[in-house]
Amino acid sequence: MASKHDLTLRMIPFLDRHLVFPLLDFLTLNEVYASQDLLKAKHELLSNTNMVDFVLKLYQEIHNTEEVPKEFAEKKEKVLAQLEEFQNQTQNVIEVIENPEVIAALRQDKLQNLSFLKENYNITDNQILSLYDYGQLQFNCGNYGGAADMLYHFRVLSTDSERNFSALWGKLAAEILTGNWDVALEEMQRLRDVIDQKSFSSPLQQLQQRTWLIHWSLFVFFNHPKGRDGIVDMLFTSQYINTIQTSCPWILRYLTTAVVTNKRRKTYIKELVKVIQQESYEYQDPITQFIEALYVHFDFEGAQQKLKECEEVLSNDFFLVAAREDFMENARQFISETYCRIHQKIDVKELSQTLNLSQEEGEKWIVDLIRDTRVDAKIDFEENTVIMNTPITSVYQQVIERTKGLSFKSQVFASAIEKREAAAAATATTAEAL
Amino acid sequence: MASRFFRSASDSESESESSDNESFISDEELSSDEEEMESDDDLKKDDQPKKNRFLKGGSDSEDSDEEGGRRQIKSQKDKRYEEMEACVKSIENGERINDWTLISNEFEKLNKLMTKAQAGINGIVTPKFYIKCLVELEDFLQEAAQKEKAAKKKMNANNAKAMNAMKQKLKKNNKTHEDKIAQYRQDPDSIEDPVVPVVTKAAKKKNAFLADSDSEDDSAAASSSAAQEVDDGFTTVGKGGKAVVEITPENLLQKLREVLEARGKKSTDRNEQITILQRLLKDASSPYQKIKVLLTLISSRFDANVSMSGYMQVELWRSVEKEINQLLEIFETNKQFYVHENADDFDDEDKDVVPEAGQTIAIRGSLISYVERLDDEFTKSLQSIDPHTTDYIDRMRDEATLYAILVRSQAYFESYKLNGSVGRVIMRRLEHVYFKPEQVISQLELSTKNMLPSNINSSIITAEDPAELVHQLCTFLYQQDVSVLRTRAMLCHIYHHALHQRFHVARDMLLMSHLQETIHQADVPTQILYNRVMVQLGLCAFRDGLIKESHSCLQEIQGSGRPKELLAQGVQMQRYGQPVAAEQEQLERQRQLPFHMHINLELLECVYHTCSMLLEIPAQAQAGPNNKKVISKTFRRLLDYNERQAFLGPPENIRDHIMGAAKALASGEWEKSRDLIMAIKIWDLMPNTQDIKDMLARKIQEEGLRTYLFTYASYYSTIGLAQLSQMFDLSVVNVSSIVAKMIWQEELSASLDQVTQCVVLHQVEQSRVQQLALQFADKAVNLVEQNERLLEQKNTEQRPEQQQQQKDRRGNKGQQGNQQNRNAVSGQRTFQQRTGGRNNFNNVFGNAVRGGRTQSARR
Repeated sequence: MASKHDLTLRMIPFLDRHLVFPLLDFLTLNEVYASQDLLKAKHELLSNTNMVDFVLKLYQEIHNTEEVPKEFAEKKEKVLAQLEEFQNQTQNVIEVIENPEVIAALRQDKLQNLSFLKENYNITDNQILSLYDYGQLQFNCGNYGGAADMLYHFRVLSTDSERNFSALWGKLAAEILTGNWDVALEEMQRLRDVIDQKSFSSPLQQLQQRTWLIHWSLFVFFNHPKGRDGIVDMLFTSQYINTIQTSCPWILRYLTTAVVTNKRRKTYIKELVKVIQQESYEYQDPITQFIEALYVHFDFEGAQQKLKECEEVLSNDFFLVAAREDFMENARQFISETYCRIHQKIDVKELSQTLNLSQEEGEKWIVDLIRDTRVDAKIDFEENTVIMNTPITSVYQQVIERTKGLSFKSQVFASAIEKREAAAAATATTAEAL
Repeated sequence: MASRFFRSASDSESESESSDNESFISDEELSSDEEEMESDDDLKKDDQPKKNRFLKGGSDSEDSDEEGGRRQIKSQKDKRYEEMEACVKSIENGERINDWTLISNEFEKLNKLMTKAQAGINGIVTPKFYIKCLVELEDFLQEAAQKEKAAKKKMNANNAKAMNAMKQKLKKNNKTHEDKIAQYRQDPDSIEDPVVPVVTKAAKKKNAFLADSDSEDDSAAASSSAAQEVDDGFTTVGKGGKAVVEITPENLLQKLREVLEARGKKSTDRNEQITILQRLLKDASSPYQKIKVLLTLISSRFDANVSMSGYMQVELWRSVEKEINQLLEIFETNKQFYVHENADDFDDEDKDVVPEAGQTIAIRGSLISYVERLDDEFTKSLQSIDPHTTDYIDRMRDEATLYAILVRSQAYFESYKLNGSVGRVIMRRLEHVYFKPEQVISQLELSTKNMLPSNINSSIITAEDPAELVHQLCTFLYQQDVSVLRTRAMLCHIYHHALHQRFHVARDMLLMSHLQETIHQADVPTQILYNRVMVQLGLCAFRDGLIKESHSCLQEIQGSGRPKELLAQGVQMQRYGQPVAAEQEQLERQRQLPFHMHINLELLECVYHTCSMLLEIPAQAQAGPNNKKVISKTFRRLLDYNERQAFLGPPENIRDHIMGAAKALASGEWEKSRDLIMAIKIWDLMPNTQDIKDMLARKIQEEGLRTYLFTYASYYSTIGLAQLSQMFDLSVVNVSSIVAKMIWQEELSASLDQVTQCVVLHQVEQSRVQQLALQFADKAVNLVEQNERLLEQKNTEQRPEQQQQQKDRRGNKGQQGNQQNRNAVSGQRTFQQRTGGRNNFNNVFGNAVRGGRTQSARR
């Protein structure tokens, strides 16, 4: 059951080796798969990295031995040697950069900085490049903090846009792995801007980059306190919703969870329902099914059942496990809100049943609900029912509702015209000047 | 005629005494050729007396002109020539300015001069420039006539009249000079201008000539027979028939060249040529010879059919098919030869070419065009054969062999890496396959396999499974550079998916390809294909029970009222008394699809109207009597018409059934409605008829419930769910879910009572003023939206200029993105307007500018 809805397998192709590791760790903890298999997977995953000691431990665990194969020792030597070499190479640059005088002298213009450093401190392009390589090596060794530092310095100095781009990815990964969520969020924003603005040789490439970004961003969004707003904002922009539809429909689970646990969900829910419906032939899991049952079929019992399944799925998902409580609470609220809107008279007993609560709890819950969401409802204790006073919107209000946006729209409209005229005038003047 | 001409020629010959020996011989030869063409009798016998007469005549004139007067004659002749030349010049001038009156007059004058000049004893031989003028006139006339037909602006009446008169005159006149003209056309230099007045030499010449006259005679005869043997063989063989020299491997290529040279000339008999070529083929021994002969033979077979509309004879087609197969076989066994369009013309000097080991020889030619032509001719024949006869079925049997040729030639092109040709042939193959059900495709593939030698296999197309086969064909075409091929392949692929009930896949492909945005610029056959795809997609959606999607797919085609033309399954009828231009009709006829590719129009109409009914009736019930929101115009019109009828008989055709069903549905009698729909027989044409009927019954139940609630809500204060469930034969859960949905979407102002299990309806009667106020508010909103759209339009118009100004790449890109978004949005909005915003599927169409999703995403 738990493995049926497990997405790790689908997500691995879009993640970095190092980022996959926590996922696998989580799976081991939850005992979804056989632990021996997972160990092997981990070993395979990391054997290409430079985290020699760790791999060695894994190896020993798999084979149940204490001996140290020769190749590990060799590799370790090599890595250490490399580290030392790079450290020597970059020593100079680091010292220069960390010199307060230099920091004060640095400007926005990279080219200028570069020539300044070249003239005064004898720093060559190669040295800067070695910063990048050193960062990469450190990252590979699992020293994420150091890697992040190196890459930061590299990005400040280098003008090579391709390398800068991969340095951005590296920095983001390093920040994620060190758990620096604030910085990671910043880096992610930067990366997103770059991806959106960069001109890729083919749309396919851009699509790929976006898919990667979406997967990586899950780490940030579900760990950063403000992340859930961020994920909704980002994934509902047209480029990203398209990306999800095209290459990774399973992200809908995270999007759905984010929307459900979001405070401003009302505006998004309609759009979400549409997307889920559209993609239902491609991807379904209890969480999307829950939304479908509730908002497409209005099948409250079905929704209730799905909600139970959701709980299990959520607790087995690396990203969502923290949001489980929130999700359950909000989903209940969803159900009851919808239920109340449609019904006039509700039996408290049945409602509590639907919500998976005891009658007393249910009553309390309803009272809370009435208080919190200001639903116009009363409890009839004698009959043990809730009576909803369905508000009938008067025609007056309807008219106001419909025309509310008009003045704002007209304002935008007017300013657009103004802008256009200004632009026309500007071009006219430049034409004259020419 | 020839004899008269001959005589006059000889006369002038002797008269002027000017021609030197050579010219005389050539003339002699010429005349003897004429003779042969004239009569099939024995040459020598026929020749003899004429020669004598000629000689006699020659000597006669000699005598009479012996004494003086030569100068005078010469000057008179010169004068005539000059006059005639002047006439010719002015005719040429007339041609240049397209003045037929002038041409006509001058021509008259020229002919008069001509007869005068030729009359009597002093007559001259028809001069070359005269013949040349005739030929040019004829050509020009033809050209002018064609231009006249094509041109929109007619020339003025006088001019046209003169032209017609001229045509008649020229025709009559040219008859007299037929053979000269033909000869001229063959070889402009063959007619020598006989008038080269060389007076001084004349006497000497004359003697020589006289003395030689006998031997001359012999040599003339000899030369004529030699002509038979050596060169100019075509005329000899062509007419003479018997006099063919047997073909040897040595002179075979020479013969072939002769045939090739005669090709396309006016006097060439095409059938004759084909027989010669067939004989040549029989005698050809080496592969090179065979290839050369076959290439010529195939193209001359295609030449045999001249008219544009008619199709190639079936027998002829079959022989071509056989020959192409033969050709392919040669290429398969002799890998050292291959045909290439851009190959240098291989100069073989009429000798056989045997390639050395390791050497490959490219022969100029285009196999792909033969194959394509063969396919075209097949389609043409299917277009013209009545599909309800057995002929059609017989003809269809040839498709297997044709398909086999396609497969075979594809393998050939692949082995020589002629990528352009591979793409084209694969496109042809795909077009034979895409519209067929999988079983049929497997059959076809199987028979092809049996038909072809086992060593034919392709590296590109390896699949056995039909779906996989189509996929491979298409995927290959997606990688081609030619965008037309890509587009068509895409459409075929979508069609195939839709045909096999893979709606979502087909829809996604269509959306990803963004074809609907650019299809208006495509060529007509591609647009037809697009229409077919849309219709097939609609039918597919219908079978899946996706009524809305189906309706919006079919809307554009069926809603236009002329699906026949849009799907190229029938020609446009006369509309509003305007006759269709003949040429356009011709073109349209050429585009028609063969019958076996047709989509059943009746079924299409039936599906469309059923979808419309299921959408329109509840919508109408919801909006009340004065509803302006129209989902399907055609359906509404039919329904209105039906309602206006005073008396209604029992339903006879599909439309009657659907109209009856619609009316029953509107009044809540879903059972009657269902029975009427079920009575339509055409559903049997669909696969899984029972499933579709069940689906329809369910939809009718649901929509019936909705319609009932909309219509009768105001008469109830509460309705029990159980009662509704009983009325519409739906489960309570189902009913409550439908009602809940209606409440949630604010279509129905009501709420459910969980305790008593009933729907409580809230009466909201609006006063007149309130209604008006609401309408007014709507209109104000509309106005603002209209304004915004207007501004957007203006902005997008301006954009191109701005884009040029801003060279900053980033700004540029952002703008493009914006523009795209905006286009998408406005597209969506217009669609909403048109279909009343209910059309979810089309929102998807508008919405889904799936940025990353391009064709390549699926590769």
